Amino acid sequence: MATNDAPERPAGDTAGASVGPGRLSRRTFVKAFGAALLAAAGGVGLVRSRGYVKPPGATLLALSASEYAIVSAIASRIAATDGVDMPSAEEVGVARWVDGYVAAMDGPLRRDLLRLLQYVEQLAPTAVGYASRFTRLSAADQDAVLAGMEASRIPLLRGAFGALKGCIYLGYYRDSRTWKGLGYDGPLLGRTP
Amino acid sequence: MTLFEEGRNRTGPATLSVDAVVVGLGAGGSMALRQLARAGVSVLGLEAGGRHTPAQFNQREDEMLPLLFQDGGGRMTADLAIRVLQGRGVGGSTLHNTNLCKRTPSAILEQWALDYGVSGASAADLERSYAAVEADLSITEIPEDAINGNNRLLQRGVSALGWRGGVLRHNRVGCRRSGFCELGCAYDAKQNAAKILVPQAMEAGGRVFSDARVDRILHDGSRATGVAGTFVDDAGNATFPFEIRAKIVVLGGSATGSAALALASNVPDPYDRCGRGLRLHPGSVAAGIFEQPVDAHRGIPQSYECTEYLEFGRGAEKRVWILTAFAHPIGTASMLPGFGAKHMTRMRKYRHLAVFSAMVHDETEGRVIAGEGGRPLLQYAMTEADRRQLAIGLRACGRLLLAAGATEVTFPAIDAPTVTTDAALNALSMDFIRPHTLAMSAVHPMGSMALGDDPKRSVVASTGEHHQLKGLFVADGSLFPTSLGVPPQWSIYAFSHHLSPHMIDAIKR
Ligand SMILES: Cc1cc2nc3c(=O)[nH]c(=O)nc-3n(C[C@H](O)[C@H](O)[C@H](O)COP(=O)(O)OP(=O)(O)OC[C@H]3O[C@@H](n4cnc5c(N)ncnc54)[C@H](O)[C@@H]3O)c2cc1C
Ligand code: SF4
Repeated sequence: MATNDAPERPAGDTAGASVGPGRLSRRTFVKAFGAALLAAAGGVGLVRSRGYVKPPGATLLALSASEYAIVSAIASRIAATDGVDMPSAEEVGVARWVDGYVAAMDGPLRRDLLRLLQYVEQLAPTAVGYASRFTRLSAADQDAVLAGMEASRIPLLRGAFGALKGCIYLGYYRDSRTWKGLGYDGPLLGRTP
Repeated sequence: MTLFEEGRNRTGPATLSVDAVVVGLGAGGSMALRQLARAGVSVLGLEAGGRHTPAQFNQREDEMLPLLFQDGGGRMTADLAIRVLQGRGVGGSTLHNTNLCKRTPSAILEQWALDYGVSGASAADLERSYAAVEADLSITEIPEDAINGNNRLLQRGVSALGWRGGVLRHNRVGCRRSGFCELGCAYDAKQNAAKILVPQAMEAGGRVFSDARVDRILHDGSRATGVAGTFVDDAGNATFPFEIRAKIVVLGGSATGSAALALASNVPDPYDRCGRGLRLHPGSVAAGIFEQPVDAHRGIPQSYECTEYLEFGRGAEKRVWILTAFAHPIGTASMLPGFGAKHMTRMRKYRHLAVFSAMVHDETEGRVIAGEGGRPLLQYAMTEADRRQLAIGLRACGRLLLAAGATEVTFPAIDAPTVTTDAALNALSMDFIRPHTLAMSAVHPMGSMALGDDPKRSVVASTGEHHQLKGLFVADGSLFPTSLGVPPQWSIYAFSHHLSPHMIDAIKR
């Protein structure tokens, strides 16, 4: 498999302000995570340049290959299925959709979301005792990391998890293949309401 | 001269001189635009969002949320605790709202007069404007046969418990009961600002630029002289600048947008009032599972209310409004607790879910500040008293669901607290009801540039004109000194209507 040779944005590009799809001010964000975030930002260049697989198909619009891999990993756990009749996040193309969604975001929101992805990849695992990147953990360990964020003692992290979850479900339940398992019959246009 | 121009199609900058410029065309801005146009003054409305037509409303959440909502539907308070839904586009939040219409309770208006120094805004003073809006927007009672499954269960719960409740009023004509109101109405049944007021304004000679974001109010420190901003393309990127010179500037950018704009424009604020007093009317939900399908996503989404826990005015002890809430799959997934396979198992009960919501008539005073690029940043730390009200409201929602026949009731909190009986509900600790633990949202931001005659306690006079900057008016949800405790659109339209003669006087001054 080819490793990523797509151009990566410079690390400074993610030194942003707020968490998408919700917003978190630069001041609040930096205050809350303090040195940990700065450490993450320092590691960004390293993480981005090594060991991420370039996604097949069309060129990415907003995410780098590493960010795409992080979103894919998060989506596969947040939208993990409970049965065979539901498509996987990969089949639905959640990460591709998030790429387009991020491309349409304005600058501050986009920077915040990318910063959050780096947090999940690099720092969130350490918060629950794993010395590894999120994308390299087993599914069960990734679930533990996400559950740790969801129930974190830091309120802002719980809020950030909610924002991330909303974004992933937007990308997943938009696909009509997921509706059947819910019994949702979709838009009524063209039919009698 | 074209009366409506889409800023996204501009090929160059614009410089204009008019009598009045209106910033933001939601409920309040559109009413001001129409009233000014009908008074025969030259008026231009500027809206940051696009012009949308019913043909675009395709009933898909993934496409309509980014199209119709601020920040793609993901606007949150700065601490990420509360999701704040607000609209953008010609029509503002009235494009996707759920059309409920209630007047400001007279106890609230009395409280404003006594405690906040608001004059000339008693129920009698406002009657003419409320009646005008009622006629303009065809406000009527929702027909009994239009109450859908979810609302029918609320009605059943209210009657089983002997609580106070009733059918609501709305501004729809020719409603097909599709259930997609929060994604815009494909059938053009909403009698909203975009459908009624903006066309009427243009018939009277008013002009509109969509895709025109105002970045600055121009002023000399004592008088507003116009606005400056930029046209934006489809992706919201700045294209060409514009500058509009005007005798008066009317703010209709909402309870978050107007204060952020005033702050970013260094509008004089010697008593540090601008942006303060933000109320969100925040709420959360309880979801009940029923043996039979409820199909809450079909039919008019909200038609029945429970007012058992709602009182108004100074010292009110019950401050929660209960009504139904329902969303399509994406909204439901964001709200249900947890993630992964367990979450999906909950989602499979989608058709069997009834959802009731408790909204707090809040006393918490949040604050709007101007963030990066002038974007509104919302600071809001819920008080303990409001938290207690939310707990009362959610427990009441649980009781109503059980009384209506729910087999199980759950709350959107991290540990997914779930009960199956009244006894278990009574015994349930409500500690989970706090920001960042419970999913909360708000659809009725108000306050932040409050009315009142005392410049030390309010931002604009009871005429709607800014205390310090002559010629600057506010005509949107920012005006209210407290939460209304009820849905605000009728009041916003009515206040804008009520204050418009003062705007006209200021032009003639
Ligand atoms: C999902 C939902 C359901 C609702 N249901 C109801 C209901 O049933 N009943 C009810 O009474 N209320 C309801 N509301 C609330 C109601 O729609 C709003 O309170 C009301 O529309 C607010 O009016 P406004 O004039 O203050 O601002 P808005 O209607 O929000 O309009 C503000 C406009 O200003 C524009 N703007 C902001 N800043 C600028 C700028 N700098 N330059 C140019 N333009 C700018 C924005 O893009 C926006 O279009 C609901 C809201 C939501 C989100
Ligand atoms: S329920 Fe009525 S108002 Fe709402 S979207 Fe359907 S037809 Fe339009």
